[in-house]
Amino acid sequence: MFKYVLRRLVYIVVVFLVASVLLFALYKSVPGDPARMMLEGNKASMKPEEYEARYQDAVRRLGLDKPVVIQYFTWLFNTIKGDFGYSLTYKMPVRQMIGVPMKNTIMLNVWSLIPVFLITIPLGIATAVRRGSRFDNAVQVITIIGYSLPFFVIALLFIFLFAVKIPIFPISGVQTPALKGTPTRMFLDKLYHMALPLSVMVFTSLGGLTRYVRATMIEALRMDYIRTARAKGLTEKVVIYSHAFRNALIPFITIMTGWFISIFSGSVVIERTFLWNGMGKVIIDALNQQDFAVSLAMVMFYLILSLIGNLLMDLSYGLADPRVKLS
Amino acid sequence: MAKRTYGSTFTDVLKTLFLGRRAATLSILEEEQVQSPYRTMLRNFSEKWSAMLGLYIFLAIFLAVFILPIFFPMDIGFQDPTQKNTKPSSSFMRYSKELDGAAVSIDGGSVFGVGVDASGKIHQWGTLTAKQQKLPTSAAKFVQVSAGLDHALALDENGRVYTWGNDRFTLSAIPPLVSGQRVKQVLAGHQISMALTESGSISVWGNTNLITIPVPADRQGTFTKMVANTTLALATTKAGEVVVLSSKETPFSYVPPEIQGKVVDLAVTERSAAAVTSDGRVVVWGGEDHGVQEIPAQIQGKTVAISAGRGHYTALLSDGTVASWGWNNYKQAKAPKLKNIVSISSAYFQNYAVDKNGKIYTWGLKGYLMGTDQYGRDLFTRLLTGGRVTLTIGAIAVIISGLIGIIIGSFSGYYGGKTDMLLMRLAEVVNAIPFLPLAMILSAIIGSRISETGRISMIMVILGLLSWPSLARLVRGQILAAREQEFVTAAKAMGIKEVKIIFRHILPNVITVVLVNLTLSFALCMLYESSLSYLGFGVNEPNATWGNMLYGCNDSTVMAQYWWRWVFPAIALSLCTVSINMAGDGMRDAIDPKSNDR
Repeated sequence: MFKYVLRRLVYIVVVFLVASVLLFALYKSVPGDPARMMLEGNKASMKPEEYEARYQDAVRRLGLDKPVVIQYFTWLFNTIKGDFGYSLTYKMPVRQMIGVPMKNTIMLNVWSLIPVFLITIPLGIATAVRRGSRFDNAVQVITIIGYSLPFFVIALLFIFLFAVKIPIFPISGVQTPALKGTPTRMFLDKLYHMALPLSVMVFTSLGGLTRYVRATMIEALRMDYIRTARAKGLTEKVVIYSHAFRNALIPFITIMTGWFISIFSGSVVIERTFLWNGMGKVIIDALNQQDFAVSLAMVMFYLILSLIGNLLMDLSYGLADPRVKLS
Repeated sequence: MAKRTYGSTFTDVLKTLFLGRRAATLSILEEEQVQSPYRTMLRNFSEKWSAMLGLYIFLAIFLAVFILPIFFPMDIGFQDPTQKNTKPSSSFMRYSKELDGAAVSIDGGSVFGVGVDASGKIHQWGTLTAKQQKLPTSAAKFVQVSAGLDHALALDENGRVYTWGNDRFTLSAIPPLVSGQRVKQVLAGHQISMALTESGSISVWGNTNLITIPVPADRQGTFTKMVANTTLALATTKAGEVVVLSSKETPFSYVPPEIQGKVVDLAVTERSAAAVTSDGRVVVWGGEDHGVQEIPAQIQGKTVAISAGRGHYTALLSDGTVASWGWNNYKQAKAPKLKNIVSISSAYFQNYAVDKNGKIYTWGLKGYLMGTDQYGRDLFTRLLTGGRVTLTIGAIAVIISGLIGIIIGSFSGYYGGKTDMLLMRLAEVVNAIPFLPLAMILSAIIGSRISETGRISMIMVILGLLSWPSLARLVRGQILAAREQEFVTAAKAMGIKEVKIIFRHILPNVITVVLVNLTLSFALCMLYESSLSYLGFGVNEPNATWGNMLYGCNDSTVMAQYWWRWVFPAIALSLCTVSINMAGDGMRDAIDPKSNDR
């Protein structure tokens, strides 16, 4: 077990290093001089000599005078330490800047987990048990439609229905502007703004996950031990929830982890549509403003997230099924 | 000779797909024939209604977006602010029945039309705003109307001016100079109104910030007719001269000197002006766009009146026939064969001709099937061309990712060991970086250096290069299972080259699974492309894809008022991805009957 984790960790480090080299190369290939862009705003108010001095200072501060290899390692170590660089648009360190968006994104994603679990697992199990019935066929077709529809189409539809036609929810934003009040009031306001993006996020996740739960459940229900359990005279409830479902969990963990990681990047579309001030919106704004340090930091963040997620996924196999030997 | 069995030829396969399976009734002594795997697949597929439905819908969309653009070509540079955000309709020239046979004066507006019948009643048709629907009332009979961008003017028999429609920019405030005198001609332009009095003076009111039409004081009192486009106005004088009413030097200013003093009628398009001289000749000056200078030879010497739209001219000849030339994007320069015409009127993209019995003939733009977008472009043609781009990008991205995935997966699965390790780590690296953000960054960095059309190819390559890992893993798994089988050992024993064993012996055995996966990732690539374009990091304006037609549609105004701008692209895209997934899903079930349960 320990050896396995260690080997996985080494893999992770290798993958991380390769990906980081690729990303850094990408970053370096961006046209434009970041030092000059840093001084862009106050160029007019300075004398040429002063500008030149400030420029050299910026070059030194950003480490642009050193060889590329050194630059890479400095950048890598800083990133690992949590120093993601300097945002040219916001004129502040990236780490400081992404605090609020990060909180918003995590809030949105964690809240969406609960309804997704509550709907997909019972629905998947029900369709698996009643395989081939009219109910099952209907759910199958609906879920295909559900996962084939683009996120933004569903988002636009939800906006149209619940913010334009029946204006019960705000069309976009995180908070009512200039709202002051008790923390409870603020929190409720945030929840109110979150309702639409949250529903879209839940809705888009339902199709794929329901199908997956169903597939793993069917696989599990086919096993011999299910027949044994039934032969023993156990109630159908025990057979399904205790024997079959636990075994269906293993592949389910895979998809769950993958889905949880993808929801961070998938929320780019939702955050853009609802102007939700989260990580996805930060990355779009950064790219639109040519602020590549920020976008690079975001991608590194996603990368670390997905690598750790993969490790956790492998480890949780062992927890869900003691027979799985990690080697 | 072997008996031919049904389902063994390509025609049979097609028949089965499109006409359904032939139900064979077997006698009690017969047994159902053993089927080849491919026929079993086909049978399974055609028995699943959702899969067949998906296939038909996809084929319909495919044929529509690849064939219809031939008949409805998209002009990529076309923009026309006068047509922006027009709702779907076909009523731009659907004049009221009462007007037919009694038309006195007709004029076309941007997306509507106005007419007066012999009893002096005003009729309106086309796409009208709430303000435009409030018609003016008068005790006297109306005799003349003029329609502009979103407002209209009318003149009654006493020479009084009435205005309705858009009332901002002082359009509703008719100057006292005009209301005190008998007016001869009214002209509603681009948020501007003009009136010509019986005494030959021109007054201008309306949005003078947008267009300034200076009228030289020394010429006041001599004007006989005025015409205008969205930037300036021209007028004729009693002496038969053309006066350009513009504060700037424009190509319009260079009126050919030989016509001065002989002009009887005048018309102006967006970029050029035309005059009819007293000897029936037509002279066009100014710009040359859309072939406005190519005046048909047969009308020279016979023209009595001329009218113009945004980029075309229509001339009335002395024998009562009409001829049109110039811009023909909405067939407005394709005049029908008419006779006994007494008056013509052209505006924007419409033409009206009235014969001596008062009967109305029309040609030109009837309306837009799916409305127009914020630049006045027809959404229907954009939807067709955009669908072609979206499907092409999806297909080529899948081909790229398929090639990479199959090659890497095959080598990895067949050779195993270090090759496998290395290639699978590579797949892991590509897979570990989240797709959408990485694609956005790549698009932002590379996209800034290439042309808009180059971006289309760039998106294909980016999607292809980023989406192969899952396929590679699938192929690897399949090959791993297949390489231990006897036929591979046999092939090896015969000394066949390894590359040949992989691609000629093993791959055909696993190709069905790969094809299903490719079908499903085709839908996925389309989704990614449209997501990128929707976010503004994919294919950009002026090129159309289903994704970028939705760019900027999350705005409440667009959502509520211009529903056609997002409903149609959203439906097309959704229908397409749903149908591909339904067909792909059916294919997967058909290939592996065991997976039927998934």
